[in-house]
Amino acid sequence: METSKNWFDRNYKFLMIIPFVLLVLSLVYVGNFYSKTGDFLNKDVSLSGGTTITINGDIDLTNLEEALNEKYFGDIIFRKLTDIRSEKAIAIVIETSAKPEQIKPDIEQALGYSLTSENSSTEFTDSFLSSNFYRQLGIALILSFILMSVVIFFLFRTFIPSLAVIFAAFSDIVVPLAVIDYLGIKLSAAGIVAFLMLVGYSVDTDILLTSRVLKKPEGTVNSRIYSAFKTGIMMSLTSLLAVLPAFFIVTGLPDSFRQIFLVLALGLGADIFNTWLMNVGIIKWYCERKNIQ
Amino acid sequence: MASYRIWILGIALVIAALLIFPPRALFETGLSIQEITKNTSEFNAGLRTGMIIQSINNQQVTSLEEYNTIVDSLFLNLENSEKGVKVNIITKSGEFIFYTNQELSIIVKPLSKIGLKTGLDLSGGARALIKAQDKTLSDSEMSDLIAITSERSNGFGIKDITIKSVKDLEGENYMLLEVAGATPSDLEELVGSQGKFEGKIGNITVFSGGQDISHVERSGQQSGIEGCTQVESGEACRFRFPISLTEEAAQRQADVTSSLSLDSENPQYLSQKLDLYLDDNLMDSLYISKDLKGQVTTQILISGSGSGTSRQEAIKEATKQMNKLQTILITGSLPFKLEIVKLDTISPVLGKEFTKNLLILAGVVFIIISLTIFIRYRKIKITGAVILTMLSEALITLGIAALISWNLDAPSIAGIIAGMGTGVDDQIVLIDESVSKAQISLKEKIKRAFSIIFGAFFTLIAAMIPLFWAGAGMLKGFALTTIITVTVGIVVTRPAFAEILRRIQE
Repeated sequence: METSKNWFDRNYKFLMIIPFVLLVLSLVYVGNFYSKTGDFLNKDVSLSGGTTITINGDIDLTNLEEALNEKYFGDIIFRKLTDIRSEKAIAIVIETSAKPEQIKPDIEQALGYSLTSENSSTEFTDSFLSSNFYRQLGIALILSFILMSVVIFFLFRTFIPSLAVIFAAFSDIVVPLAVIDYLGIKLSAAGIVAFLMLVGYSVDTDILLTSRVLKKPEGTVNSRIYSAFKTGIMMSLTSLLAVLPAFFIVTGLPDSFRQIFLVLALGLGADIFNTWLMNVGIIKWYCERKNIQ
Repeated sequence: MASYRIWILGIALVIAALLIFPPRALFETGLSIQEITKNTSEFNAGLRTGMIIQSINNQQVTSLEEYNTIVDSLFLNLENSEKGVKVNIITKSGEFIFYTNQELSIIVKPLSKIGLKTGLDLSGGARALIKAQDKTLSDSEMSDLIAITSERSNGFGIKDITIKSVKDLEGENYMLLEVAGATPSDLEELVGSQGKFEGKIGNITVFSGGQDISHVERSGQQSGIEGCTQVESGEACRFRFPISLTEEAAQRQADVTSSLSLDSENPQYLSQKLDLYLDDNLMDSLYISKDLKGQVTTQILISGSGSGTSRQEAIKEATKQMNKLQTILITGSLPFKLEIVKLDTISPVLGKEFTKNLLILAGVVFIIISLTIFIRYRKIKITGAVILTMLSEALITLGIAALISWNLDAPSIAGIIAGMGTGVDDQIVLIDESVSKAQISLKEKIKRAFSIIFGAFFTLIAAMIPLFWAGAGMLKGFALTTIITVTVGIVVTRPAFAEILRRIQE
C-alpha cells in the first residue's frame, strides 16, 4: 500500500498528461473538423432539415438502395432496425434532406406498395426549424455549462478546485464530441440534449473527489483520494453499465433514445480519465501548495 | 424516531401506485367519450366528453368493434322517420335520447387500465409544429389562432387533438398540434387552407365566413343529410343547413338581387345564382327564388354534397364536408398564412415494438446494476435496499407523470433511466460514507454524504434547465423526467435509504 502511494506521489503530475493529451487531440480533431465542414458535428435531418421515413417490416434493402441511390446520391442513408431478442428485422429507416412528398413516391415505386400511417412513419423537419433547433441547443449547452459552473463555485468557494471540476466537465464534452465526429455519427437533437445532461452528470465524481479531499479532516490527502476513488469508480461503473446495453446490443430502440445513451456512455467513459487522472492531479497539487494534509 | 422518512416513502409509493393503476379502472366497462361536436343533436341531448357509454339502443358496448357495428347500422334505414333515427344512449351518468339524421359526432375510446400515457413516438399519431409565415405572433395573436384552430379541428372531424403554443429560447411562437390517429393530410388541411368562405352573386361578394354570419344551424330538422342518390361510382348524398346573415350582409344581398331580372329558362328563379366559394374555389351554386328579389332576408340555406362507393361512405363524407363548412362559416378564415415547419407521423406498430424493447432494456439494466451492487458489497440487505430505492424512484416518477398527464416519449424514458443512474450513484456515496472508518457518528457520516449528493443534484438541475425552452420545448420530456427523478430521489428516497442503511448498520 505504502509503495503504491509513493508511486502516485511521484507520478501524479505525469499521469495528468494522459487526459490532457486526450483533450488536446480531441480539440485539434474537432477544430480540424470544423474548418473542413464548417460545423462541430455531423447533423442528422432533425438538425439539418429533411425527412426520416421508417418502414415497418423486414424489407429487402438492396432493392431499395439500388432504386434510390442514383437519384439521391450522397443524400440518402439506409438503416435497419432489429428486434432485441430475435434479431429479426422490424423496420428500415431512410434519411434524406428531400421533402416527404418528394421522396415518398420514389420509395413507393421501388417497394411496389403505398406508404400509409399504418405501415410507416414519416418525420419531416423544415430547414428553418432545424437550424433554429441547432442554434438554440448550442445556446442551451453553453447556458447549462455556465449554470453548472456557478453551482460548482458556490459549492466549493475556492478558485482552483472549482476550476479543476469545470475543466474536467469541459473535457467530458469535447472528448465524446471528437469520438462521435471520428465515428462519423450523425447527431440528432436528442443527442445534443444528452450533452447537456453530461454537463450535470459527469461532474458527480469530481464533486465527490473535491468534497472528500477538501472537506474531510481524516487521514492523509492520498487516503482520502483513494477512498473517493473507490466510491467514484463504482459510481462510474454502475452508470456505464446502465447506459452501455443500449449502446451495444440494441438497434430496436427509438433513435433519440440510442443517441442519448451513446453520448452519455462516451462522456462517462471520458470522465473516468478526466476525474481520476486530471482532476485528481490538480487537487493533489493544490493540496501540496496549500499545505493541506 | 427518524422512521417518518420510511413512512413518507411508503405513502409516496402507495399514492404513485394508485395514480398509475387507478382502482376504478379495474371494475368499469364501457367506452369513454373522447370527442363530441358542439351543437349536434347528441351534444344538445346532454352527452359530453368524459362520459362513459354503456349501451346504445339497448345493445351493450364494451369494445370499439361493438361500437362501430352499432353506429354503422343506425342509418341503414335512413328514410324510416322524418325526425331521423332515434338513438338511446345509456351512460354511467344517465340516459340520453335524441333523434338524428347525421353520422354521430361521438368518438369513443376504451377505458384505460393504467393512468399513464405514452408519447407520440411510442403510441403513434401525428404532430405538426406551425408558425406564421414571415411573422412572429404575439401572445394574443397566438391564443386567437389556437382558439380558431381548435374550433376548426373539431368541425373538421380531427379528434383527440391537443393544441398548444410553445415558445423557444429566441422568443419565436409556435403552435404545436398533436393528434393520435390522424393522418398528416388531415393536419395539412387544417392549417394549410386559410378557409376563406365567400357567397358571391356575379362578382360581388355578398357575405363571407366569420363576421357576416350571425348563426349556423348545426342541428334540428332542417340541418343534416337530405337524401342520397345512386351515381355512376356509387352513391352521393346531399346535405343542407340554414345560416343567418347579419343585417348588413342581408342588406347587401337585397341590394344586389334588386337589380337582377328573372331567369329566362326558369322563371321562378333570378337570372344569377348565389355562388359559394371556399378558398377561391367554386363549391356550389344556389338558385335564388324570385320571391327574394330585393328582399332583406337573413335566412339562407347552404347546401353541398359528398359521395362514396357505398351509402354509408357517402353519408360519412357528406357529414364531414358539412361539418367542415359549418366550422369555416362560424370561425371565419385564419388571420395569418401559416407554414408547417415540422410534421411527423408515427406508425403505432413500430411504437409498440419500441415500447416492448424499452421495457426489456430497462429490465436488463436493472438486473445488471443489482448484480454489480451485490458483487461489490456482498450484502443482501444493502443490495435489497438499493433495488427498493431504484424501483421506488421509477414508480414515484411514473406516478407524478400520471398525475400531471405527461405523455411519456422515448426521451422521457431515457430521462428516468438516467435519473435512476444518478440515484444509484448517490446511494453508493451513502453506503461508502456510512461504512467509512472515520471516528464520527453515523449521523455525521450521512450528513457528509448528503453534502456531496446535494452538490450533484444542483449541478444536474442547473444543466437541464435550459432545455425547457431550447428547440421549442420539443425535448422538454428528457429534462422534465430527469429532474423529477432526481428530485424524488433527494426528497423522498434518499432520506429513506439513509434511514434503512442506518438500521442495517446498527
